[in-house]
Amino acid sequence: MRTGAMTPAAPAPRGGPALAGVLWLKVLALGTLDALGAWAAARLWADGRVWPAVAMVAGLVATTWIFTSPRAYPMRYIWPGFVFFALLVIYPIGYTVAVAFTDYGTGHMLSKEQVIRQFETMTYEPEDASRFRFAAFQAPGGTLTLVMEESPGRWAVLEGGKVRPADPAADGLVDEDGDGLPDRMGSRQALAVAQLARRLAELRQMRWEWGDRILRMMSLRELGEARHAYRYDPASDTLTDTRTGTTYRPVEGYFTGEDGQRLEPGFVTYVGLDNFVRMVTDPAISRPFLRVFVWTFAWAALTVLLQFSAGLGLAVLLNDPRLKLRNLYRSVLILPYSVPAFISALMWVGLLNTEVGVINDFVRALGAGPIPWLQNPFWARVALFLVNLWLGYPYMMIITLGALQSIPSELYEAALVDGARPWDVFRSVTLPLLMIAVSPLLVGSFAFNFNNFNVIFLVTGGGPPMVGAQTPAGHTDILISYTYRLAFQGGQGTQFGFASAISIVIFLVVAILSAINFRMTGVFEKMSENV
Amino acid sequence: MRRVIGGLVLATVVAVAVVTAAAAGALAATDKLVIWASEAQVPALLPMAQQFEKEYGIKVEVTEMGFGDIRSNFSVSAPTGEGPDLIVGAHDWVGEFARNGLVEPIEMSAAQRDAFTPVGLQGFTYGGKLYGVPYAIEAVALIYNKALVPTPPKTFDELLTVARKLTDRNKKRYGFLYPNNDAYHSFPLLSANGGYIFKFTGQGFDPKDIGLDNEGAIAGARLIQRLAVEGLVPKGTDYQTMEGLFLQGQVGMIMTGPWEIDNVKKAGIKYGVAKIPTFNGRVARPFVGAQGFMVNKFSPNKILAMEFLQKFIMTKEGQLAIWKVDPRIPALKAAFQEVASNADVAAFGASAADGIPMPNIPEMAAVWGALQDKLTLIVNGEQDPASAMKDAARQIRDTIAQAK
Repeated sequence: MRTGAMTPAAPAPRGGPALAGVLWLKVLALGTLDALGAWAAARLWADGRVWPAVAMVAGLVATTWIFTSPRAYPMRYIWPGFVFFALLVIYPIGYTVAVAFTDYGTGHMLSKEQVIRQFETMTYEPEDASRFRFAAFQAPGGTLTLVMEESPGRWAVLEGGKVRPADPAADGLVDEDGDGLPDRMGSRQALAVAQLARRLAELRQMRWEWGDRILRMMSLRELGEARHAYRYDPASDTLTDTRTGTTYRPVEGYFTGEDGQRLEPGFVTYVGLDNFVRMVTDPAISRPFLRVFVWTFAWAALTVLLQFSAGLGLAVLLNDPRLKLRNLYRSVLILPYSVPAFISALMWVGLLNTEVGVINDFVRALGAGPIPWLQNPFWARVALFLVNLWLGYPYMMIITLGALQSIPSELYEAALVDGARPWDVFRSVTLPLLMIAVSPLLVGSFAFNFNNFNVIFLVTGGGPPMVGAQTPAGHTDILISYTYRLAFQGGQGTQFGFASAISIVIFLVVAILSAINFRMTGVFEKMSENV
Repeated sequence: MRRVIGGLVLATVVAVAVVTAAAAGALAATDKLVIWASEAQVPALLPMAQQFEKEYGIKVEVTEMGFGDIRSNFSVSAPTGEGPDLIVGAHDWVGEFARNGLVEPIEMSAAQRDAFTPVGLQGFTYGGKLYGVPYAIEAVALIYNKALVPTPPKTFDELLTVARKLTDRNKKRYGFLYPNNDAYHSFPLLSANGGYIFKFTGQGFDPKDIGLDNEGAIAGARLIQRLAVEGLVPKGTDYQTMEGLFLQGQVGMIMTGPWEIDNVKKAGIKYGVAKIPTFNGRVARPFVGAQGFMVNKFSPNKILAMEFLQKFIMTKEGQLAIWKVDPRIPALKAAFQEVASNADVAAFGASAADGIPMPNIPEMAAVWGALQDKLTLIVNGEQDPASAMKDAARQIRDTIAQAK
């Protein structure tokens, strides 16, 4: 192996057998990735998804260039991260914003093209429609011919989308078993139902024009007559019912008649700011909003305070070198953190059960009546704080333990020399230095709990309900769970558009609150002083 | 060297593309039928799939999925063309699916219709069209522990007497339990004296005619509150609490459906099934649910799917095969008669015969949350039954009026 300086101009001769292997691997990996990507892009393009296809090709070209060109060498370190960032962060945000301005949701799930196609393929059976038995025959080339029983003893031949009366002699039709259907057609091969099933891919596409009617496959044994139920006119963008002549125009995501009658299914349409306006103008939504907002704020702030106090207290204890078996305590105290939160939350629901829960068994043993943990607004809130304290204190304990150990011991010695008492040391030395390190994390924790859907949803489900509320609003609903219930359990099916709009608003609220928090704690200034 | 790398990449691209294109072509050429079913039906569907494959040469793939996941996954995947050809689900999904254009109407001849219990077909009917082939119907009934309640009560007055005698909350013993803030399980009490959710008109349910604030419904709500306030059915009794205590032999009677029987047997409880007691002399009418198969509107294999349904689901043998693994009441009359000698089937069947199909119109979504919340307030004693039921009805009417 040659060592020393390598110039970009002459990279060729480096590499023994090992490097050549790596090179081959790289070529193979990139080639496979590009081929699969190109195939996927072609599929996307064929499906009419132009922009995803373009993005795919651009991404592939960029990836290939970055991993083959020496000039793009530094990019190789950032690129994978950037790709995932784009896929997992930028794309969902963009999609949410786009959906917020549409009515996407129950009643409006399909695109307009899909809905028009559905109406166009819709047929109806006229009142005097009949069904016909048929026999199927296959020519040596594979072409299918159907012979249908128009009326007993009268056959018609269905070929190439057309229907003509049969001429048993010329067509060579013979009914051998006397069931009214031919069993032979000249030299063609008769197909049994099972063989027919194998050719369904083409059979289901077949339509035979028959006067002003259409014949289509109803089952593997029967043909039926039908007519087109709707006709779409692209020039005027209207749909016409062929039975009644009524014209339907697209209004608010439905094809709507003059009299306001809507044809289902509807389609997704752009609704502008409607979703945002609704949040403010609909009293049923905006009235509980303030109560929910106040509780959300209290919930996030108090939770952080409780978790931090508990975590700090335990951390100070565990940090004391006089404590024996410190590692054991530390391991045990971290346990709640290692159990997935949703399991703990569900376990707590069981413990808090009014009738059979263990906690009320203790309460009863103390001589008190059972506490209605999840039925009473006050106790439901207490229960939530309890559960969230359990879930959150280990995190606070870990970060404060780390921060405590980073405080220089000279400061404590100096304080000792100055004759400070333990409480003064804690107040004037430990706490301020600790806050520098942990306050950004507290702000983060506040933002997290502001949107802590899991705990609320799993423990109380937002309940107990408020008396007189006209929307699904409960005493323990926070903004995000209220949003979820409004958009998905509010009774109008799933409303992705509305949900997206509210989540954008919540995002703005959290962003503003976090900014204010950072300012107030003065974290940045203190940190810069410290540097 | 760079040119060499580029050339190599290009060569690999071509090679892999040719191979994948060939594989994709091969995939598109074979038809196959995909069925989404939940755990309960899969064991019965697998042999059917094998037989279908043998006879028609078409592969049938049975995918197991959580019951609720079938509904949500189908909504999202069907319009993209990635959905299954058939799903197994509940009749009350039909309204939403039909409104969203996701399911295909099913055409049955008069003779085929006659073979089914009418309530099963009614359940799957929306806007005058049938959207599913039912294989089972179900309704809640009274399940009682023979050790505590030798003969089941015929009226709610009798039930209250039994319940008062048996109930001792400190010993965690109860006479009668049901999930009392759950709208589904509470409905028989609301319906007994004339409460209803949406009026059934024969064509379907009328979302404008809501009967949750009439005298009958309010009388039911009073009974619900009384049971809770007296401590007979404590507030916050949920399904798990009821189930757990009954399986421990602590409860005399519970109100639930045939899905619970298996657990009761396993727990070794000597049980009986009876009709829900009458209330003020009137028969309690539980919700009847139907389970069945629906065809994906976007499936390219609709005819094949129908063939599968005709061959296996619309036959006595097929319905009995499913009944063996998923013991609800068969929806096909012939299959029901075959198993009606089973006391549980007969009792749940009798309860279902009194019942009314649970509304399948999408407006039902406006009902669950609102009714659940108001029932909770009634049970918790926070609101008077009359005003709570009026609030519920008003909230449902407003929500439906607003829906776009």
